[in-house]
Amino acid sequence: MENIKILKGFKPTLTGMPDLSTIQIPEPETIAVSAMDIPFIRPKLLVKENDSVKTGTPVFCDKRNNRIQYVSPGTGIVKHILFGERRQLKEVVIALEKTEDFVRFEPISSEQMDKASRSTMTAQLQQGGLWQCFRQFPYRDTADETHEPPMIIVSLNGNDPFSPHPKVVFENEFAFFESGIKLLKLFSKRIIVTSRQGSLQRLNGHKDLITHVVSDSYPAWDPAVVLYKLKQTPKENMSWCITAEHLILIAKFLLTGIYPVKRVITVTRSTDKKPHIITRQGAPVKNLVGSLAENSLITTGRFNGRSVDPGSHLGFFENTLNIIPDNQTEELFGFISPGLTKPTVSKTFLSCLTRTPKALDCNAHGEERACINCGYCTNICPVDLAPSFILKALLSEDIEDALSYGLLDCCRCGLCSYTCPSKIELTKILSDGINAHYKDKE
Amino acid sequence: MNPFKKLINSSEKLFTGSGKLKWLEPLFDATKSFFFFPSPKNKHTPFVRDNLDLKRFMSFVILSLLPVLIFGIYNTGLQAGIAKGESYTFIQAFLLGSRYVVPIILVTYGVGFFWEILFASIRKHKISEGLLVTGLLFPLTLPATIPLWQVALGISFGVVIGKELFGGTGRNILNPALTGRAFLFFSYPISMSGDVWIAATSSVDGVSGATALSILAPEGEKITTALTHSGFTLSRLFLGFVPGSIGETSALCCIIGAAFLIITRIANFRIIIGGVAGLMATAIIFYLIPGGSDSWMNAGPLYHLCAGGFLFGISFMATDPVSAPGTNPGRWIFGFLIGFLTVTIRVANPAFVEGTMLAILFMNVFSPLLDHIVMKYNASKRIPNV
Repeated sequence: MENIKILKGFKPTLTGMPDLSTIQIPEPETIAVSAMDIPFIRPKLLVKENDSVKTGTPVFCDKRNNRIQYVSPGTGIVKHILFGERRQLKEVVIALEKTEDFVRFEPISSEQMDKASRSTMTAQLQQGGLWQCFRQFPYRDTADETHEPPMIIVSLNGNDPFSPHPKVVFENEFAFFESGIKLLKLFSKRIIVTSRQGSLQRLNGHKDLITHVVSDSYPAWDPAVVLYKLKQTPKENMSWCITAEHLILIAKFLLTGIYPVKRVITVTRSTDKKPHIITRQGAPVKNLVGSLAENSLITTGRFNGRSVDPGSHLGFFENTLNIIPDNQTEELFGFISPGLTKPTVSKTFLSCLTRTPKALDCNAHGEERACINCGYCTNICPVDLAPSFILKALLSEDIEDALSYGLLDCCRCGLCSYTCPSKIELTKILSDGINAHYKDKE
Repeated sequence: MNPFKKLINSSEKLFTGSGKLKWLEPLFDATKSFFFFPSPKNKHTPFVRDNLDLKRFMSFVILSLLPVLIFGIYNTGLQAGIAKGESYTFIQAFLLGSRYVVPIILVTYGVGFFWEILFASIRKHKISEGLLVTGLLFPLTLPATIPLWQVALGISFGVVIGKELFGGTGRNILNPALTGRAFLFFSYPISMSGDVWIAATSSVDGVSGATALSILAPEGEKITTALTHSGFTLSRLFLGFVPGSIGETSALCCIIGAAFLIITRIANFRIIIGGVAGLMATAIIFYLIPGGSDSWMNAGPLYHLCAGGFLFGISFMATDPVSAPGTNPGRWIFGFLIGFLTVTIRVANPAFVEGTMLAILFMNVFSPLLDHIVMKYNASKRIPNV
């Protein structure tokens, strides 16, 4: 096990860490396949409203590559197809039926796994609706099947500081993870398995496969940060990444021949310590979060997720829901209060002297101002970017400069926006810059 | 509800929408957000934000200036007393000093905010907090006896030409407070020269007293001896009981302020440490050059550090993040060169006895270039990702 030292990042401890116990919630009435969390997708629907679907029936595919399909995680009838602005597909809602019927594939045995050819495995995974588990840098788009990645980074931890703990994810499924790692060797010569320091002590007996340990401050365990620290040549920019959870799904699917629907998710709230929840892929948000305080915000990652409303459903890549309270009070002379309980990464509140966990809220704590070049974003960026300089290059439409400053190394962790005293939407501007560059290239 | 909040809420409709005083909306908004800290809900990812904002950032600079300000007021009164041959108690000196210093500060804020509000109203943006700091830094760089109309003129030049012409706070190249001071320095050399006027209430409204930097030793005497003879011992220069601009005299108070800024990470320590190192190194080099023992060339690093406005400038002016470089290597070079230039101007340029202001403004102009070089170097070290 090698250590990867990452000195920057978000260090304060937060309240609301989920408990390591698990509970299973009853089957929901509806589930959905969401298109909201899929990168760069141009979906093409394969079902109509009132069609009946089995577990594993393709619901839509990606127009950019028709072989990449997104399948139904349950058996039932397509109830709604929801569109957003400009007829952008949001989600396909399916009303679940009591009996479950599967689209079945030929299972392969664990011994066959490392002998099979790369192309048959790829085809099998694409038909089964799991190829998209592989993501390719630098855009973190769905992996290109014709590309041979110089390394594949398997990440045991999710996008949020409180994403499901790998111990819970591995429970009863570690054998699948081991076969998954075997499978990855078909695709790349170099397999990196990373875990954050804090997860390690609960992983007794499951540590052998971990190759790199990263520090415990968010987002050190993000595969983009790991790649940035490991890469030696420009070729390695096109590496792939996958989460441990998705690797288990892939192995399970290949070994059993049916689409796995079980997911482990966490719901975090600053005031409690909830257990991990076992549910079905695409479960409705309202079933997971329970009762809500007024105005609070639900996100699928407080730093880098999207905001979801209770009526929508969890996406394929999402396994965390943060319930963030809204403290929209206009505090008298708020800008000069000592702030014993106010979380901060700066040294301007007394709270930076205490080590007690802090609660975050979904408020801006100030208004937007011009950039004053203070350098807080540079000090926190885990991949050593200078976001304020990239921002200025992007605002003056100097994409060449932005790229040479390392724009595509950005892991979209959200910390530059988090820390900015001028409250500039740095992450959004950088992220839009990356997306615009992607569209230019296409 | 708080009655004050009620008042603000009830007058809101006058200033917004189609209200009569719509053109004063930025003023209303600034007042409201000064008293009631705004904290709207985040619309974009990340959905959580840090508690530090620009208001607090700027307020901390003001806090760090308080020791300098209080000592400056006291010293103004004290020096006036010495000039008149009277010895005042702390309270008397402080009250007398306030009579000179407070009007200067009030005029600065009044005129400065007038321009800020005018530009914000025309450009329809919010009033930035930058002026809070500029408006306190500027008076502290002035001699106490400066006529108030010159104060108004100076801050107008600093805010309008130094800042607003470039687009407001965050977009200026030069430090606005120093730009205003430089304007006065070159336009009205009599009231701004090295011979700073000491506030006094005698019939002649001021007595000329030389500052340490304008002292030249007579033939055959060492500069340090001459300084001691004129009352500028090292300890008095360090504590600040000498004539000079309001805020610059006390090295100790500047160090306290700088320490506060460094600990709270509001100012970048690289600029301050780099500046002090640059000043020390250059002063030592000049000290080692033979000859010139009667001039500041031979004064040695400690005199250079404590005399004049160097510590004030490097702690509060050079650390202004907008006009300083945004990269760490750039900040080291920036600070070091300010120190170097300060001593060089003091020693080698007979036209100016004090070099801090010119050194900082000169390096302000170079900070984008320093950033450019550092960013290009960093980019060449990165593994390209295009």
